[in-house]
Amino acid sequence: MLPVWKWVLARRFSLAECQWHTLGNMNLRSPSSLGIIAALVAALVGCEQAPPPQFHLNEMRMVENETPADYQQEIADVLGAMFGTPDQPFAFPESGLTQTRLTLAAGAAYNDTEGVSHGLYRRHCVHCHGITGDGRGPTARFLNPYPRDYRSGVFKFKTTFAAAKPTDEDLKRIMHNGAPGTAMPSFSLLPNSEVESLVEYVKYLAMRGEMEQRLNQYVYDELADADRVDEKGNPVLDENGAPLKGIRLNPAANAGQQEAVKGMMAEVVAPWNEAKDQVIAPTEEQIPKDNRPAEEIAASAKKGRDLFFSPQKGNCFSCHGPTALGDGQQNDFDVWTKEQKAFLDKTEQLKQSVAERDEQKDLSDDDKTALERDRRLVSEREDVIKTFYPLRNAIPRNLRKGIYRGGRRRIDIFARIHQGIPGMPMPGVGGSGPGVQGTLTEAEIWNIVDYVLSLPYEAISGPQTALPENVAEVTK
Amino acid sequence: MGQAKQEMKLFVLSRQTIAVVAVAALAAAVGCNRYSEGPGKVVNLTAATKIRSSLVGQTAEAGGEQAASTGTGWATLKGRFVFDGDAPAMPPYGVNKDEAVCAPGGKAPPQEYLVVDPSSKGIANIFIYPRKVSRVNDAAGPKTDPFLFDQKECRFLTHAFAVSVGQPVEIHNSDPVGHNTSIAGQNTFNQMIPSGDKVPYSAKKEEATPASISCSVHPWMRAYMVPRKDSYVAVTKPDGSFEIANLPAGEVLEFQVWHESASGSNHGLAVQSDETKELKWDNKGRFKIKLDPDQTRELNIAVPASAFGG
Repeated sequence: MLPVWKWVLARRFSLAECQWHTLGNMNLRSPSSLGIIAALVAALVGCEQAPPPQFHLNEMRMVENETPADYQQEIADVLGAMFGTPDQPFAFPESGLTQTRLTLAAGAAYNDTEGVSHGLYRRHCVHCHGITGDGRGPTARFLNPYPRDYRSGVFKFKTTFAAAKPTDEDLKRIMHNGAPGTAMPSFSLLPNSEVESLVEYVKYLAMRGEMEQRLNQYVYDELADADRVDEKGNPVLDENGAPLKGIRLNPAANAGQQEAVKGMMAEVVAPWNEAKDQVIAPTEEQIPKDNRPAEEIAASAKKGRDLFFSPQKGNCFSCHGPTALGDGQQNDFDVWTKEQKAFLDKTEQLKQSVAERDEQKDLSDDDKTALERDRRLVSEREDVIKTFYPLRNAIPRNLRKGIYRGGRRRIDIFARIHQGIPGMPMPGVGGSGPGVQGTLTEAEIWNIVDYVLSLPYEAISGPQTALPENVAEVTK
Repeated sequence: MGQAKQEMKLFVLSRQTIAVVAVAALAAAVGCNRYSEGPGKVVNLTAATKIRSSLVGQTAEAGGEQAASTGTGWATLKGRFVFDGDAPAMPPYGVNKDEAVCAPGGKAPPQEYLVVDPSSKGIANIFIYPRKVSRVNDAAGPKTDPFLFDQKECRFLTHAFAVSVGQPVEIHNSDPVGHNTSIAGQNTFNQMIPSGDKVPYSAKKEEATPASISCSVHPWMRAYMVPRKDSYVAVTKPDGSFEIANLPAGEVLEFQVWHESASGSNHGLAVQSDETKELKWDNKGRFKIKLDPDQTRELNIAVPASAFGG
């Protein structure tokens, strides 16, 4: 038998010959040759004119709320009015966002004649975080952890109280440092003005995502009466026995809706403006000095160790494991995954119910209508599920590696322990707001910080010795 | 003969050409689709421009909305939710951790996703509340007395409850093991509650539907809480009964009925009967009702297993 590679080689040669032959015979004046050239030109030109990228709606949430297609279009239109498009972003006046920064961050990536970089988001971020900021860029599927989905406005690594938004400084910090142990790199080589533009754009995408969900809920709660059905899938009737008519979402023609939409936007924007007043401020006197003697650090770490393993106090070991390798509670999920899991579970339940009813023979007409409706819902839901990446558990950090996603400064670890990590199973032990009593005192939290930072250097963690061994041999 | 051959050749060549053109066209099409359009609707710019000018411009043409008619006087809504069928048996919680505490004597407590009283068939833990009210009776303002939310044997002692916005909640832990209490929704909270200790909490925002409460250390633990601006909210008792007093009378109120296992849209409890049809009860678990002053309206709802996806 002919080996595969020989066969491939043979095929390639014959193909090359064939091409050569065709080109050699080509008469540039013949209509067919002109056709080829036209097609090639069209191919090139066509690719240049790819449709501009667009923001897309969150299909999972649209299907979950059974938002009818015409309302989805209206939601997309209202969002377009308030936020513009990926090529032409709009800083809605009440958003507090700066138009010039958004303009610099959005659009296609290019350098102008002055050397100013444009399209920063598409140059640096989009391949992971996606055009809509949904954390689903082309590379996202291959990363672990998956990139952040900005649309719910939840950010993990920040210095504010858990329920608050991050400050601009928080977002800048993660851009400067990256998130060690993840695919998020450092952008510290970018000029400050570019980082600020990108921070603005991330906030913009988050606000857009939060606004989308509010509009979706508004349509569900107040407008989409047209599709109000009872549990059998029959339309709910009004006083005159006619199906209830839905109200269109069109703030341009309805003063009440204008107010409602502006109100929603104010609710979305307010927490971003309040973030700077929600920063955890550790008491100055309690912050451990940088130049403490080793014995003092060891004593503090000892206290921290007791708290770490105490079920009455820190209880850290129940997730991070008795070994601190992150091998405790490993089967929980983060909020982004939980939402997908709930969607999956409900679809499975619905599918099962449809299958059971399919078996039954004596279905009434009402039951048949309901069955058909549910069958359609299952297929819509399954289309959404096809777009999911494999779900992953939230795995507690292995504290013996010395890699800290949210930063390795003592104050970073302090913030993680004080407030936990929003969106993750990790709870906090400090007060939930300014002046609120916490589980542990600040001094105790600093003790745990010292212990956590000492873990990678315990002998059992196998820390790298100061000198490579062979060098030590030579100098002996 | 020569002529025919010539034509033949032309024909062959043009067939080749067609193939090449087709390939090129395909490449063009595929090339253009490199930026694949994901699913989901995208903006219609004409509509968006119109909406933008209306939202940004000074179009203070208020009054386009007619004010909702308000009535006078107060009324009471009470009733019972009864399970139509045999009370489902609740399997025990899947305890796989801290067994000594969470499953004393090797016996884990039963789950609570659908609690039906076997004798009265009453369904517990159904939330019922008006979605909006135009006015609030003095006796129905937000509650201010502290609410005790405790956990014991790795189980939240109150499975479903309502609080008022701003009402102090004391989260206790009566177990010898540590718990964390993680509250989802707009009033997000996730704190470690040390064994034998308590931590203060209060909800700052009203929720349209109950938020789930869980513990990351013991993932089977589950409870539901709805924070409301007023105390027009009830959670059915073990016998399935509820009562909301001092509701505004003389105007249409829309109620939300919610249960964690309900198969309606977003866990709304949908029930089909002649009475519920009259109330325009929909699959979001919402119905409309107008009460007369000083009336006590009683609703007795038989809920079939299908309303819970069973």
